[in-house]
Amino acid sequence: MNGWHGRLLNVDLTHRRTWPETLPAEWLQTYLGGRGLGIRLMRDYYQLDPYSAEIPLIFAVGPLCGTPAPTAARLSVVSRSPLTATIYDCSAGGRFAWRLKAAGFDAVKIVGQSSAPVVLKITPQGGELLPAEKLWGSTVGATVAQLDSQGSVAAIGPAGENRVRFANIMMGEGNSVGRGGLGAVMGAKQLKALLVAGNLKVEITDRERFDEARRDILRLFKASPVIYGDLGIAEYGTPALVDLMTQRRMAPTENFRKTIFAAADQYSGPAIRRQYQPKNHGCYGCPIQCKKSTQDGTPLPEYETVNHFGALNGISDLRSIINSNNLCNQLGMDTITAAASLSAWGEIRGRFPRAEEVGPLLEKIALRSGKGDLLAEGAQRLSRQLGKPGLSMSVKGLELPAYDPRGAYGMALAYCTSNRGGCHLRAYPISHEILRKPVPTDRFDFAGKARIIKISEDCNAAIDSLVACKFSFFGASLEEYAELLTATTGIEYSPQKLKEIGERIYLTERFYNLQNGFSAADDQLPSRFFNEAGSSGDGIEVPPIDRLRFDEELQKYYRIRGLDEQGFFVADNWLEQQP
Amino acid sequence: MIRQLRKYADKLQLDGSALPQQTAILAQDDRLLSFGAEALLPLGQAVIERLNVVSLVVAAPPLPLLEILLRRLAEDAQTLIPQDTETRTFLHDIPLVRKEEFSIENPQRIVELLGQRKGVLVEEVGILATGSVTVEQAYINYSSVYHALFVKLLLMLLVDAPPTAIELDLLQPLLKQLQQPIPLRLDDLYRGPLLGKTAILEAIDQVGKRTVELKLVDSFFGNISCRLAEQVFISQSAASLDALPGCIDLVPNDNSSTAGITASSELIAHRAIFAQTAASVILHGHPKFTVIFSLLCEETACKISDCWKDCDKIRYLGTVPVVAGEVGAGGIAKNVPPVIGDGIAVVYGHGVFATGNDDFRQPLATMITLENWCRREYLHRLTNRK
Repeated sequence: MNGWHGRLLNVDLTHRRTWPETLPAEWLQTYLGGRGLGIRLMRDYYQLDPYSAEIPLIFAVGPLCGTPAPTAARLSVVSRSPLTATIYDCSAGGRFAWRLKAAGFDAVKIVGQSSAPVVLKITPQGGELLPAEKLWGSTVGATVAQLDSQGSVAAIGPAGENRVRFANIMMGEGNSVGRGGLGAVMGAKQLKALLVAGNLKVEITDRERFDEARRDILRLFKASPVIYGDLGIAEYGTPALVDLMTQRRMAPTENFRKTIFAAADQYSGPAIRRQYQPKNHGCYGCPIQCKKSTQDGTPLPEYETVNHFGALNGISDLRSIINSNNLCNQLGMDTITAAASLSAWGEIRGRFPRAEEVGPLLEKIALRSGKGDLLAEGAQRLSRQLGKPGLSMSVKGLELPAYDPRGAYGMALAYCTSNRGGCHLRAYPISHEILRKPVPTDRFDFAGKARIIKISEDCNAAIDSLVACKFSFFGASLEEYAELLTATTGIEYSPQKLKEIGERIYLTERFYNLQNGFSAADDQLPSRFFNEAGSSGDGIEVPPIDRLRFDEELQKYYRIRGLDEQGFFVADNWLEQQP
Repeated sequence: MIRQLRKYADKLQLDGSALPQQTAILAQDDRLLSFGAEALLPLGQAVIERLNVVSLVVAAPPLPLLEILLRRLAEDAQTLIPQDTETRTFLHDIPLVRKEEFSIENPQRIVELLGQRKGVLVEEVGILATGSVTVEQAYINYSSVYHALFVKLLLMLLVDAPPTAIELDLLQPLLKQLQQPIPLRLDDLYRGPLLGKTAILEAIDQVGKRTVELKLVDSFFGNISCRLAEQVFISQSAASLDALPGCIDLVPNDNSSTAGITASSELIAHRAIFAQTAASVILHGHPKFTVIFSLLCEETACKISDCWKDCDKIRYLGTVPVVAGEVGAGGIAKNVPPVIGDGIAVVYGHGVFATGNDDFRQPLATMITLENWCRREYLHRLTNRK
């Protein structure tokens, strides 16, 4: 069975034990890897508290990792989120996933709590726990510098150690397991870092078929203006979207009170290029190379980050935004939630933070000192504590990213149906509502969106399980990736079969969430979006969302998913029927 | 959504790619919606309900192209490899389903293949194509499969075994059409120079509609641009040329804004043409007979197999140069500008780039003239084959 090693590394931090386990072939073939495998491995644990000792923290790669499949050197980290309390997965690139696969494991399942800080070292021989007292308190950069001569590193910073609810896990190359606070889960286990090294190869069953599919994908990348166009992400990184979102009047500004920021051109893709002449970077083996850095190697921010440390807080100073991004990376925090929490706090107290105040505030958050302790709880909790729950621009406790839902109705629906909360990547309707891929849809119309969102969620659950980068699908489709998977494993997969796998994964996540107390009441946007208009102008009207029409489409979505009017499963034993 | 079904059923008739009485379109919202030929709906329903897609077109092309093709293919042939480069890029190969492989009660073979590919050719039915996001997408995929089928078969008739009397008889309606040239009607088009935004947008809209009306482009492919000082107005990616209002991006030459990230994938080629010529407007279409003739090559000792991207020669259709090059960032931008000095160039297996110095009359005229030449030449060669 090529594509998978069929091996899981178990780690019990409480008892300082590590041991390999054979993964059932059926699980691998029906959940693939990454998000899907992680979700399956959580079946006996999903009701545990995110900070309990027993909760697993799972790192899972996919069957294409270790092959030359474009953008597939990625992994997913899965657990329960301390920020949202939902089941949670996060995908990240870099070199770590590729090295983990090369160490001979499809997944690592970490349970327990260490009595002292440790580093988990993984090689083809198994796992080993190393003392890490000296690393505790270190920034991500300092930690990586201490360890990376021995392999690839995934580490937490002070934010994870201090259980900041949106602490992330950083890959040594600067990629982040960014949202939902899985770094805090790692911190609660006193696990400072993972270190992986190995040189095992992944065999490909049908090399000729694989190469043909790969060529098809690269040709589609070249035909995609979003990927390789003159103005695309290979040239400018994701900040290429700043100008577009400004033009479309859907750039969240001042905690979503407005949808356009006049000074956005100060931190747009072209502005960053003018000021920094960036170098290109990318995940291992990725032909797109969308990551950008300064000439001295400092990572430059993504679109979400520039908007949220920019427009969302009323800041136009690019230097400050880059500094905020860098601080979040070093302290180990999600930039979206950090900036959104500052923004919600700013609106509540009547003043958004000035550019020079942001850095010190981020440091306080990571250390949970002073005002930082409240901000470290995220926008939803801090807004409730300050008596203004309506000013948290979040769904299921996850702060919304940089696409205003009043400017894209599929996005509005998808924020609500996402199993991990207000995330743009689960269905990624920006692809068709804004970027016209694979075909354009009317962003100000709900018609047909329920079905589109459902199908996209299924597709993306499969993509997150392969594990491939979403950006690939601005050009390629599941058609070509199914070919790569078939050629790698020798098992016939089709786009239809992958969507069925994705549907199972999506429904499993929803089942877990409903069992944990979530309901249709949590599938809702903040009331601001139904009551307040965005910033109309230049011939574009941005009215409040029609709540009746939204609810109607949400009900359609439930019906298409086979759920009842409250969004619940019709069969209580649905999960028992799954492999 | 039912409006969408009607709209695209109408478009299939207007662009001449499906028979009105043999066209059905189905879509899944929270319930199944359908429009069109009653006789095709049971098969359509049986297929779409088994797939995780939004829409399905089931229709028969207006000529018995599929029947003729199947007779010419080996009995065990399972796929059609498109000759035209855009279909090859976006659809790869197109599966074939024989009549004994399915029934309405058991459409599993069609379902299986549509689960892998965006469109299939089905004996005694026609073309089935799906859309995973919109109804329009099924229309686009249908249109692409039709284009690929048309180009493939008509090329075979020129280069493989000569057409039989029966085949010529079946193709009579097409051959009659070819005797009538595409009308060179230009007087009502916007007259240049195009100096302001309003004039440019109107002129682009006008020529886009005319290009579709004259069937010089298939589905949503093709693109149009106009240079004004240091910026370019260009149609957006995946925009239908007959529905361009609101779908034109303004792209500054100095890249001071990236809002044009949604512009056509051929922006790179358009910019290169503007940079290397005096042209102020560009029209890019896919006239079918020009595409067919661009695929005809008389080289015999050539070792290149992927001609559409690797051929480094300049060939000629009459006096019009033909060069190779992949879509987007894949070579058109490099190969076309050096040869388009006379206002027109053909990309192998793909389509035509035509330029004008003042307005769109000149590129439309040169495109029509070339296509008419190719139509006449095709008719002549086909009917004189022995």
